[in-house]
Amino acid sequence: MEFGKMMSLLGSGFVLTSQVFVITLIGALPLGIVVALCRMSRFKPLAWLARLYISFLRGTPLMLQLMALMFGPYALFKMQVSADWKFWACYIGFILNYAAYFAEIYRSGIQSIPRGQYEAAEVLGYSRGQTFCKIVLPQVVKRIMPAMGNEVITLVKDTSLAFVLGIMEMFAQAKALAASQVSLMPYVLAALIYWACCLIIEFALGRIEKKMDYYHD
Amino acid sequence: MTQENNADAREILVELDHAKKSFGDTEVLKDLSLSVGRGEVLAIIGPSGGGKSTLLRCCTLLETLDAGTLRYGDIEVAHNDADGRAVYADKATLASARRRFGLVFQNFNLFPHYTVMKNLIDAPISVSKMPRAEAEERARRLLARMNLQDKEDMVPCELSGGQQQRVAIARALMQNPDVLFFDEPTSALDPELTKGVLRVIRDLAEEHMTMVIVTHEMKFARDVADHVIFMDGGVIVEEGTAEDVFDRPQHERTRSFLKGSE
Repeated sequence: MEFGKMMSLLGSGFVLTSQVFVITLIGALPLGIVVALCRMSRFKPLAWLARLYISFLRGTPLMLQLMALMFGPYALFKMQVSADWKFWACYIGFILNYAAYFAEIYRSGIQSIPRGQYEAAEVLGYSRGQTFCKIVLPQVVKRIMPAMGNEVITLVKDTSLAFVLGIMEMFAQAKALAASQVSLMPYVLAALIYWACCLIIEFALGRIEKKMDYYHD
Repeated sequence: MTQENNADAREILVELDHAKKSFGDTEVLKDLSLSVGRGEVLAIIGPSGGGKSTLLRCCTLLETLDAGTLRYGDIEVAHNDADGRAVYADKATLASARRRFGLVFQNFNLFPHYTVMKNLIDAPISVSKMPRAEAEERARRLLARMNLQDKEDMVPCELSGGQQQRVAIARALMQNPDVLFFDEPTSALDPELTKGVLRVIRDLAEEHMTMVIVTHEMKFARDVADHVIFMDGGVIVEEGTAEDVFDRPQHERTRSFLKGSE
């Protein structure tokens, strides 16, 4: 098979890989904040529930979680799922799993903001919502960028787990190509593409960190 | 005009009555009362752990009283219920009380991600709905008064401690409070930087700004305060004019404290 044909198949996989990556971030970044706030809630049952959620999703393999979402509806409720359910299972699984990791990163950031910031905001009359959105969160974002960067880079490669659901993302394409071509070349190409993506993300994260470097505390 | 001959006309801005506050088993405020009239400067002195900061934090609603009443002019913030426990007013009332005072912290507590200008104008704009142009104009005037007119676009970390504290004072003055509280405003500063901050507070006193100042700067307290409270062990041990407390202390505890801080 010519190189161009191979690349176009990997490319079609790359589109799905990117989709999983982007949709996971869109869902898990805000959901992580919600989970972190629940985890820190003074309402104990909610805090415990959030703890349980984080513990379970970090304590079991993502691959298993994806399979549970894929086959659970039929196995548990005999529900007939549509053909594109695998995509939903994949997005939901990734979002729920990454939100658990993000939540703990947000929590570390939120708890590192000094009490004085909250007190100054309180005396100035800011509501609790304003205090969080205007005073706390922007400072948290700066503090957690390195840890978040780590997770985002991990996510690039974790997207390959979608192949267990039969989603033909880049890794699944490479595997199929390697089998049909009896060649390791597709794997090498896939690895280079993953790495190139990570390099771009590293560069972007570096730019963002630099942009937030206008102050320190 | 001295305090005595306008006593009848004294307009009370803050009034704390029979305040009690404990943390666990530790009684930090034991039945403490004070009032501050318009234009007065009250200095609170005393050893660490004597309850000064807690008193200030109760007045500024950062801590809640266990018992007692707290009023800001005609606004009743807290009063005792039938069992003698402090009950606080609703949110809206507390919010209107908060607009009557400003607080300057020991550690400034400026928002590090905001410029000096934004530190000053953000709360008035987003909390009190002050028009931006008005807020900016007011901020520039206050910064000029603090001798910081060229610093509005800087962020706090680019300023010295003394400059940061003056920004914090300007921020506390933005909403034109009736009374300004200071919690050891110079304790985090070295002597050189302390001067500038104390000068600003002196200027405010000369303009008859009502202020309550917790401080370890005895000479400053004596110069600037109309009234001085010496606190220890959660009670007011001694109070009176600056001359009364500093020159003619009645209690042994006050005398030994003043001697120790010379």
